[in-house]
Amino acid sequence: MFIEGRELTFKHNIPVTSVEKYWKGLEEGKIYGTTCKNCGAKFSPPQADCSVCYSSDMEWVEIGGEGEVECLTEQHSFPAGFEFLKEPYTIAVARFGDFRVIGWAREKISVGDKVVAETDKDETGVWKVYFKKA
Amino acid sequence: MRVGIIGVGCSKFGVREKTIQELAFEAVKESLDDAGITREDIDISVVGTSNTRGYELMPAVPINEYCGFAGKGPIRVEAACATGSAAFFTAYSSIVSGMADIAIAIGVEKMTEVNTPTSLAVGGRSGSYLWEFHQYGTTFPGYYAMHASAHMAKYGTTPEQLAMVAVKNHRNAAKNPKAHFPKEITLEKAVSSRYVAYPLKLFDCCPISDGAGAAILASEEKIKELGKEAIWIEGIGYSSDTANVAKRSGYTGLKATVDASKMAYKMAGIENPLKSFDVACLHDCFTIAEIMAYEDLGFCKKGEGGKFVEEGRSDFGGDIPVNTFGGLKAKGHPLGATGLAMIYEAVKQLREEAGDLQVELKNYKALTHNIGGTGHFGWVFILGV
Ligand SMILES: [Zn+2]
Repeated sequence: MFIEGRELTFKHNIPVTSVEKYWKGLEEGKIYGTTCKNCGAKFSPPQADCSVCYSSDMEWVEIGGEGEVECLTEQHSFPAGFEFLKEPYTIAVARFGDFRVIGWAREKISVGDKVVAETDKDETGVWKVYFKKA
Repeated sequence: MRVGIIGVGCSKFGVREKTIQELAFEAVKESLDDAGITREDIDISVVGTSNTRGYELMPAVPINEYCGFAGKGPIRVEAACATGSAAFFTAYSSIVSGMADIAIAIGVEKMTEVNTPTSLAVGGRSGSYLWEFHQYGTTFPGYYAMHASAHMAKYGTTPEQLAMVAVKNHRNAAKNPKAHFPKEITLEKAVSSRYVAYPLKLFDCCPISDGAGAAILASEEKIKELGKEAIWIEGIGYSSDTANVAKRSGYTGLKATVDASKMAYKMAGIENPLKSFDVACLHDCFTIAEIMAYEDLGFCKKGEGGKFVEEGRSDFGGDIPVNTFGGLKAKGHPLGATGLAMIYEAVKQLREEAGDLQVELKNYKALTHNIGGTGHFGWVFILGV
């Protein structure tokens, strides 16, 4: 025998003030990482504080050019929150120089492929990175 | 100070019509009976559960109450899929600190109260929510699939080699009545199953299971005083890695495994890991995970993990039998329970109490390897007689 529990919904308000440039950048087709002005450590996704030397003096750097796909998956099982997708979707990590970037791919890609990164929003209005073959 | 294990317990894994308290009780009861002590003899309890799916948001106290340990702890521990190992270490530490003579580590997870899409989302949110799940719908099978894609591209590891891990572990689980799936599968069935997260198929993935494990630890002095036999903790290693998969340095192995095993080997004086253990319990949440573990633990060279399983070197009669009770793949993977289910298996093997699944003992040493997330946490324990 089972008893149905009372429903509880979390809708979090996530503060992104210190990395606002990243989120605004996606809307302009730009992908940003940060570099620590003190020690040179590079962060993608960006962060406002340096985990290496503890400086908070960071510089925004645009990530672009040609990247190389290092790993990928095509998701055939949809997690809660992604029911809007009707087809399997591809998630990949590509390396652009010193920065690694995670993104979706709309076309078939393989590990080792050269790609460029674009930005767009999905059906739920969330902006993100999309890879396409270079 | 030496610390020994005097009792172990493990519930039946699977889709269980039991609450988290009742599941924990099953494992605790078996461990107390196994140690030949009562609940009053326990000085402190450590409750390991990730419990990101349960309705009981802070379950340590309800579990402690149900097991009759009110007043003795509890310390609640969370390390994703390596929670049971973190609980074991915490119990060990409570004894080494001198604060307790006898401690119990309980690991439990109730995963089947929510549906599969919810479970996938919870797992996917366990990397770095904002930068990965929120934008890209990452999942736990997906993260391991990404590693599989890199391993297959670089080393030529094949879908058949992945499936051989599943076939071996199911064959072992078939003789373990506590396993979630105590049945054999064929290679053909495994390789022809549907994709969950390409390149991983259904039979490359562990099931979603309920279950509990427990271990009772005591100081050497206390063990002598009680006149008990013990299995000794000879090596401990721990490590971790970045939350963001994009911040990793590569995808063909888990650095947390490499670093944790080096620490444990040093503590236990292990020079040749392949020749030092009679049995190993490796973290095979997905088949690629077991293949990477062979390599990262030094059982074979990087890139040769696929061949290692193909040649039967990790099977009974091979160099080192791996996951003799069925592994996470077929025995099941209730997150908090897994690390302690590994300790249970290692202890049973070292005591020669493993029945049909008994390995031949030569070194009288066993290794457990428990990963949280995709190397977000890494634990290695070495046990000896
Ligand atoms: Zn810095």
